[in-house]
Amino acid sequence: MAKDNGRAILEKYCLDCHQGDQAEAGQDFSDLGGRLSPITELIFENVATGKMPPADADHPDKGEKRLLLEWLASRSPQVRFPSFRRLSRSEFVQSSNDLLGIRLDLTERIPDDRGSFRFDSNRRIALSQEVLSSYFSVADQMLEFALPRKGFPVEQEWVTNKLKDSHSSYNIYVKDFRDGLLFSWTRANNGNSYSFFYDHFEPPVSGWYELTFDAAKVGDFPETVSLQVHGGKYYFADDRPQPQRLLGVISLDNREVQSHKIMVFLEKGENVSVHLHSKHTFRKKNSNAGGFIRQMRARGPVHESWPPPSFKNIFPGLTTHAEKRTVLSRNESRTNLQKIGGRLTVSSFQPGMEKEKMQDGSNQTFWHTRFHPTLAKGPHFVVLENPMRVPLHGLRYATWSGGNGNGQVKTYSVESSSDGENWNEPIVSGKLETRLANEQFIVFRKPVDLPFLRFLITDSFSIDGRSLASVGKLDVMTRVEPPVPTQSIEILGSTAVELEGCIRSFAERAFSSRLASSDLAPYVEIGRQELERTGDFVLAARLAIKAILSSPRFLLFPGKYSNDSYARAAFLAKVFWRSVPDQKLLEVCRENRLSGRILDQQIKKMMSDPRSRRMVQSLARQWLNLRAWKTISPSLKLYPLYDDLLDHFLPMETEMYLHYLIQENRPVSELIDSDYSFLNQRLAQHYGIPGVFGTHMRKVAFPDDVPRGGLLTMGSILKVTTDGFDTSPILRGAWVSRNIAGIPLSPPPENVKAIEPDLQSATSLREQIDKHKNSESCASCHKSIDPYGFALESFDASGQWRSRYRTRLPHRGTFQYRQQGYYKMGDEVDASGEINGKEFRGVTEFKALLNSNQQRIAYNFARKFFEYTNGYAPDFIQRLELLKMIEDQNGSCHTGDLVRRIVVFSLEELNR
Amino acid sequence: MIDWNRREILKYGLAFPSLPIGIQELAYGTAFPERPEKPKKRILLICNSLGFYGKYFFPRERGELNTSTYLKGFSNPEKLTVVENLFHPGMETSNHDSEKSFLTGAPHPESPHFTNTVSLDQVLASKMGGQTRFPFLSFSIYDRGWGCSWNDQGVAIPPMHDEEQIYNRLFGQEDLTAKKREIRQNQIVLQALKHDLLVLEKTEEKSAVESYRRLIRQLENRLEHEVHWLSAPKPRVSAKLNEDPEFAFSTKVSNLFRLARLAFQTDSTRVITLSLDWIYGAIDVPGASGGWHTLSHHGGRKETLQKLSCVERDILRHFDQFLKEMDQVSEPGGSLLDHTTVVMGSNFGDSSNHTCQNLPTLVAGGGIAHQQHRVLEAPTPLCNLWLELLHRHDIDVDRFGSSVQDMQLLAN
Repeated sequence: MAKDNGRAILEKYCLDCHQGDQAEAGQDFSDLGGRLSPITELIFENVATGKMPPADADHPDKGEKRLLLEWLASRSPQVRFPSFRRLSRSEFVQSSNDLLGIRLDLTERIPDDRGSFRFDSNRRIALSQEVLSSYFSVADQMLEFALPRKGFPVEQEWVTNKLKDSHSSYNIYVKDFRDGLLFSWTRANNGNSYSFFYDHFEPPVSGWYELTFDAAKVGDFPETVSLQVHGGKYYFADDRPQPQRLLGVISLDNREVQSHKIMVFLEKGENVSVHLHSKHTFRKKNSNAGGFIRQMRARGPVHESWPPPSFKNIFPGLTTHAEKRTVLSRNESRTNLQKIGGRLTVSSFQPGMEKEKMQDGSNQTFWHTRFHPTLAKGPHFVVLENPMRVPLHGLRYATWSGGNGNGQVKTYSVESSSDGENWNEPIVSGKLETRLANEQFIVFRKPVDLPFLRFLITDSFSIDGRSLASVGKLDVMTRVEPPVPTQSIEILGSTAVELEGCIRSFAERAFSSRLASSDLAPYVEIGRQELERTGDFVLAARLAIKAILSSPRFLLFPGKYSNDSYARAAFLAKVFWRSVPDQKLLEVCRENRLSGRILDQQIKKMMSDPRSRRMVQSLARQWLNLRAWKTISPSLKLYPLYDDLLDHFLPMETEMYLHYLIQENRPVSELIDSDYSFLNQRLAQHYGIPGVFGTHMRKVAFPDDVPRGGLLTMGSILKVTTDGFDTSPILRGAWVSRNIAGIPLSPPPENVKAIEPDLQSATSLREQIDKHKNSESCASCHKSIDPYGFALESFDASGQWRSRYRTRLPHRGTFQYRQQGYYKMGDEVDASGEINGKEFRGVTEFKALLNSNQQRIAYNFARKFFEYTNGYAPDFIQRLELLKMIEDQNGSCHTGDLVRRIVVFSLEELNR
Repeated sequence: MIDWNRREILKYGLAFPSLPIGIQELAYGTAFPERPEKPKKRILLICNSLGFYGKYFFPRERGELNTSTYLKGFSNPEKLTVVENLFHPGMETSNHDSEKSFLTGAPHPESPHFTNTVSLDQVLASKMGGQTRFPFLSFSIYDRGWGCSWNDQGVAIPPMHDEEQIYNRLFGQEDLTAKKREIRQNQIVLQALKHDLLVLEKTEEKSAVESYRRLIRQLENRLEHEVHWLSAPKPRVSAKLNEDPEFAFSTKVSNLFRLARLAFQTDSTRVITLSLDWIYGAIDVPGASGGWHTLSHHGGRKETLQKLSCVERDILRHFDQFLKEMDQVSEPGGSLLDHTTVVMGSNFGDSSNHTCQNLPTLVAGGGIAHQQHRVLEAPTPLCNLWLELLHRHDIDVDRFGSSVQDMQLLAN
């Protein structure tokens, strides 16, 4: 019955245009009676979202529309998806972390197997050998972190207020100030982060470290000072930028020194650097404004508790014996020579440039031979005394950085002596780099323990030929780095029975199910064998856990569950937490009580749990493509104000906003428009909103004249829809159509000249696109794609408002950062357009137009969320269900409700 | 033999002053076997995923390589053949998705229900891969999780993209005790998993269990292969990677070529794919900066084309350098290049228009009697060439992808 009616409705409303050779857009529906072609989907979506029939044609009423959709749905080809999917790499890492009780992000060490699928959860992505074998090795690394073979490294504490050397031309932006350092504008010249690494602190092992900065704001301006804390490997202080990742931002608004703490994960051997830049200190040499840091204290590796949570998680109920956590103070401010009770003498010195300057931890201060009032004659040398006759392995040398390079050592030799007067044949001689500011090592073939060493300068640099010598740093190498002391934790009562208990508890959490002995047997068996072989309880548990984390029961989803409640719990934990159910949830499942009212309660609870932020983060990365965030960097020539802080906070805005919409159950229309967002000082500056100070992100209401609100006008979205240089209305248009408006796009027909406008010829931008649209075969699609991009033309690739385009200008020689960038103003932006016969003049009217069909916005969001949740796009019948959920809400559809209902619906579909 | 190798080094030292020390200390045992044997065949397959501007790439005059804007001045013109008029059927509406099918020929990769098929390199590796430490290698510029290589299930094989990691995989020295322990543990874990599959088999869906069982078998083979190679020391090379943060893209391309050459030269593998892939972000090469993708949509505009050609020239400059270096490595019976078939191709014929006709295709080396420029009268499936390459590497199959026949395109 419905079938025939549906067919009749299609004929009545569609065939007038879509029939025969002259069919509109080349889409002929008249032979749709038989097998359905791929255009069925297009028809379904266009009717569902109200795009078709067009505005000026007759429309089916609600009932007819429903009949037509049901008819199309009933004829839709059954697309078969695999009944299971593999865990994505981020789910693997997140779940393993939760199971083991650690926080270690090794996602990047697992190949990204998403391919070109949008959602990580897509069921078409099959687990591959490469990914599985990387899980083996990542599991090893996580287990080593949770249960280290040789015990937990002791906690150590470092205090430092010295920087490693950086290139002299940037040192002018940092200076000694009071009893510490003042950072004024350390991002330095071309927008790259140069080296401002702290000396005397290097994490001996990878782990979590607490950094405390005793710091204060200096300067008379209302904004707070944002101290960027970076981690990276200091390699040398040449004029090269050094890769650094932003670990966190500290906001200084205090005039008196206060302690600011930040918890960071550092890799072994990384260093910590600080950057700070603000318009108030821009390129001011020796400025008296900025951030004052008296000292940095580092403590770690730290654990949330002692014994660490991993022990409680992996060995529940077992008694452990752990020595009290000790803290080892690492006062690194003494040099090796001082530590071994040695001292220096020199051939001569210039007042102000004494020998002590080689031992003060900096090579901005230095020893220099006498040149005034008389010139000291060579040979120039430094004698190092070693009264305790400690075996010395070599010398550490650094040039003095900055200045004209006078006196920097070109060749040297090192001699030894037992009395300081008669010198033996050189132990070693060689060349040293002159223009390099980092440390250079002179290694002896074998350790030397004679009481005197002489560092003889046999040739040195001099701009005017005078005989000079200078040294920034000189110290002895006493031994190879001592191993980090560790503390072990003993487990009492470690028998095979206890081992089985631990393996069971871990496996039941990992597999979200009660397990029969036969299910558990493979894992228990290898644990037992390992215990017998090695007698090491922890190693035996590690091996069994590694197998559990590589098991199909863990890696393929859904797994095998002992009752329906477990199946539901596992599903919910995936959706909301990207992980496994926790202990509490599993307890509810034990008696199969996760249904009805209890299910609703649990869903609410899980949604408001802090772990649900992972869902939002994941959605933003996948649905809105923020995963491409780091691959796009706005050009500093065109967008000179784009900086690390924006890069750090912009995606946070989107995540917090989405989280808020769901938590507070805001109307779906707020995806498109609202009068608030989540901002801090830097983002507010970017958007031109006055009066927001401080780094913390908070809800801010937009003033009336600010054209922001909703996802589309967020800097994050505006950035990921460009290549960092130019914006393209076609790219942005396609993005908005697909992801927000939910307009199905058919791929460009054959042999179409694709154009991507280039802003360097901004005058012809419109013309080009118009030309494109005037062509018959292009027009039918592009008239519905491009306008979505035109509306966003008012925003540049960094997300800032613009009324004119910027045209790049060339720069001479190497790129030199400047605040005004390298561009001239081009043509005026025209952000007007027309969608379905309705005109808009700019982004505000555009958003209103989008929101005039809220059902469509809600439907699109529902489809995307369904796909994220289930790993496949809803089929037509499921789409009808989604449409029903939205229609039920009568006009104002709420985000939180929709999310909850889709999850509940998906749970029902699980049993289908 | 050692002297002979030294000469090799000297030649390098002269030819490439940019190499700090040059290649030295190749492990003789692996690179230069005592007993002369038939030269080993190798193959490198490259997909330049945004294509090359046809007017600059193809010779303007038929048969005359030096009438190509890009290719004139290549160091070994006598070892090149540009083939004109190849295409992959079924890519009419594929756009960028066509990239996935470059080495597979699977039609309609844009379809939401698309599953890829096995790629050419994997078929080659199944035959040529057993005797080297790495049965095959696949490289890419970016970390997108997929490149040119697809396994027999049509699943993407994630390429390696980090030059340092590749270098370490190839030449880095490992802690053998730890490695042995790891392999042993992995073998135990695999035993447990096999055991569990027997349990699961009784109740669980077949497809899941089967697919997992296949993975476990593959991993077992892989571990066995690793155990075998554990006893052979990795080759040592002293060639370093380039570092030039100003032209990171350019540096990366040249490093990947260098790593490919080193891998062949040390006989670490005989099959390599290289995906010169793209992302939306901007890149810097000598003479131009911008989004490679944006530039590729030049629409015939002179200024944009000029910039795009800087990118393309840069890639081909590194490619030429690679061929030159390969040709300077002597082996019994010819140069390394003579024993390595190199294909530089693309999924796009014209990336500005997103069309996949007349794919720019260049074959080099491999001991082929090269013809510099060959123009086919009718559009010909690229898979015909793939099939021919399979035959040339002693793989006896009747067809590959959309192949119709082995047309002996490379026979002169």
